Amino acid sequence: MRRRSIALTASAGIAAGALGLTSLALPAGAQNPRLPTTTPQELVASVLESGRAPAMAGTVTVHNRLGLPALPGTEEAGEFLSGGQKSLRVWSDGERGYRMSVPTSQGEVTVVDDGNTVWKWTSSERTVVKHHTGEGEPGTRRDDTPAENPAELARGLVGKLRDSSEVTVDGTTRVAGEDAYELVLTPDPGERTKLREVRVAVGAEHRIPLRVEVNTNGSGEPALSAGFTRLDFGRQDPELFQFTPPENARVRTADPEEGNHPEGEQRQRANSTSRLVGDGWDTVVVSELPRQATRQEDTAEREHAGSPENPRGILDTIGEPISGSWGHGRVVDTAAGTAVITTDGRVAAGAVPRQVLTEALRNS
Amino acid sequence: MNGMVSRVEPPSGVRRNGPAPFWRVVRSELGWVLRRPRNLLALFGLAMLPVLIGTVLTLTDSAGSGPSLFAAMAGNGLVLPVFSLMMTQNLLLPLVTAMVAADALAGESAHGTLRGLLLAPVGRVRLVTVKAIGVASMIVLAVGVITLSGVLTGLTVVGGDGLVTLSGTTLPLGPALGRVALAAGWCAVQMAAVGAVALAVSAATEHPLLVMAVTVGGLIVFGVLEAFPNLEWLKPVMLTTDWYSISDVLSDPIRSQDLLTGLWRACCYILIGFSAATARMATKDT
Repeated sequence: MRRRSIALTASAGIAAGALGLTSLALPAGAQNPRLPTTTPQELVASVLESGRAPAMAGTVTVHNRLGLPALPGTEEAGEFLSGGQKSLRVWSDGERGYRMSVPTSQGEVTVVDDGNTVWKWTSSERTVVKHHTGEGEPGTRRDDTPAENPAELARGLVGKLRDSSEVTVDGTTRVAGEDAYELVLTPDPGERTKLREVRVAVGAEHRIPLRVEVNTNGSGEPALSAGFTRLDFGRQDPELFQFTPPENARVRTADPEEGNHPEGEQRQRANSTSRLVGDGWDTVVVSELPRQATRQEDTAEREHAGSPENPRGILDTIGEPISGSWGHGRVVDTAAGTAVITTDGRVAAGAVPRQVLTEALRNS
Repeated sequence: MNGMVSRVEPPSGVRRNGPAPFWRVVRSELGWVLRRPRNLLALFGLAMLPVLIGTVLTLTDSAGSGPSLFAAMAGNGLVLPVFSLMMTQNLLLPLVTAMVAADALAGESAHGTLRGLLLAPVGRVRLVTVKAIGVASMIVLAVGVITLSGVLTGLTVVGGDGLVTLSGTTLPLGPALGRVALAAGWCAVQMAAVGAVALAVSAATEHPLLVMAVTVGGLIVFGVLEAFPNLEWLKPVMLTTDWYSISDVLSDPIRSQDLLTGLWRACCYILIGFSAATARMATKDT
């Protein structure tokens, strides 16, 4: 009799353990909190008004189902671009200090901004890149935008968006335990885009964007979703926003001329030759590849331009050939966008199907 | 009272009324575990591993390439114990754990000595508990030996006082050792989960080899399943899912999310394994 009760208790133990395991597999229940209704203008205005992020610590998770081919030699930027799920941690002291920490397969990349200096630490290379952001002008640059009347600014912004899309506040949601409004941008029926809608969850209390989801045509799940999965508001340890390079680390000071990231330089050069074709959702960026593609470090541009040493060589391995009256090239198709790179060094990219790209190339 | 009496007790094998004192049974079980040459050899081998890694690292100076954490280890000795734990907890530590768990019940069964234990004045739950304590002690010893050897090798051969975290901050020796201890404790709990499941298998069979095959085979199957993107939904319940997160103790502040999830998961496995072992033993005929 006693043995039977032992066996029963033990079975209950097994069941409890199994239940505990399944609790890990179940997604958190989605509830829609009740919040006072608001209009898109009010929502955007309140975001502009709130200005900088309050003191907080959070984890941002990026889900990527864009279907981008894996790009060789792109390190941490590439890890975010190629599919999958990534988490990064962010801290803010509510004033000038920021900290971000991104895990990589080789360790971690940490960026610390103490208000005067931005430090970028790459653990796999044991290097620190130091960049001074103008001392003595404490954050004035950042405060520029909200100086204008936020309500006015919001009306202009929403008005501009309404030219090509429908802007609505579509109910409420919960992100990382915070009540949030969902601001939804839907392209007008006439827009030739691959995107179905863009949803931005805005925290009801602190009025900061908590999550961005990009939905594409023909898919129920967002192609790209980036949002907080954990978020704690409150004072943060000031130590977090200081950085002392460890011994035996290579410290390099970024040349202010060169810009914080070589990316800035790259972008400037790209801007000088790139044009926008079309407007609204079917905007296409057409640019020329630099004659000699120079060494780049972390840059989102690679998504369009190719890679460090030989963009065309890399593209040959990931794109598929395409040709038309505009020339020959290779095309990279993803869930949310398309890019074409031609043999004569022109690049066209946008959140559009490939026909729109080739049209833009023909007209340029 | 008990202690006094036990000293003048007749030698073992003589039946007594009432249960034997718990601590004595545990002590004798520990004695058995530690007296087996294979267990001692396993501990020695595990202790040698960090020494080997550390020496190879310093001699070849191969920093900058290789598996994760390898780059962080150059001149940063206290990464070595964590790296060693990460390397061994995939296969070697589970193997040692399964070996001890196999001896615990299935081995006794194979030698025909389990029958004597079942008839002895020790309750069935107690018996499983004692065996579990035996397995747990071996796990703690194995993890402890790796950690200790790793710390010593790291500080003497690889060098560096304190710890440069993956986030680029420098921790003094005290907190750095705390991080290492945290990794060791987390690893021990994961291995306890393996041990609990192995013990359950051990209770169900009388072939010690089968216990090792099932335990290690199960871990390999988990590894294979993890590689399929379609089976993403299975990940949360697989024990091995967060095992690489052990390196998260080297971030500053500690990246705790995955570590905590892994801890909860391991506790669930321990509960399941221990309950299953108890259920099997309770219903076993003598």
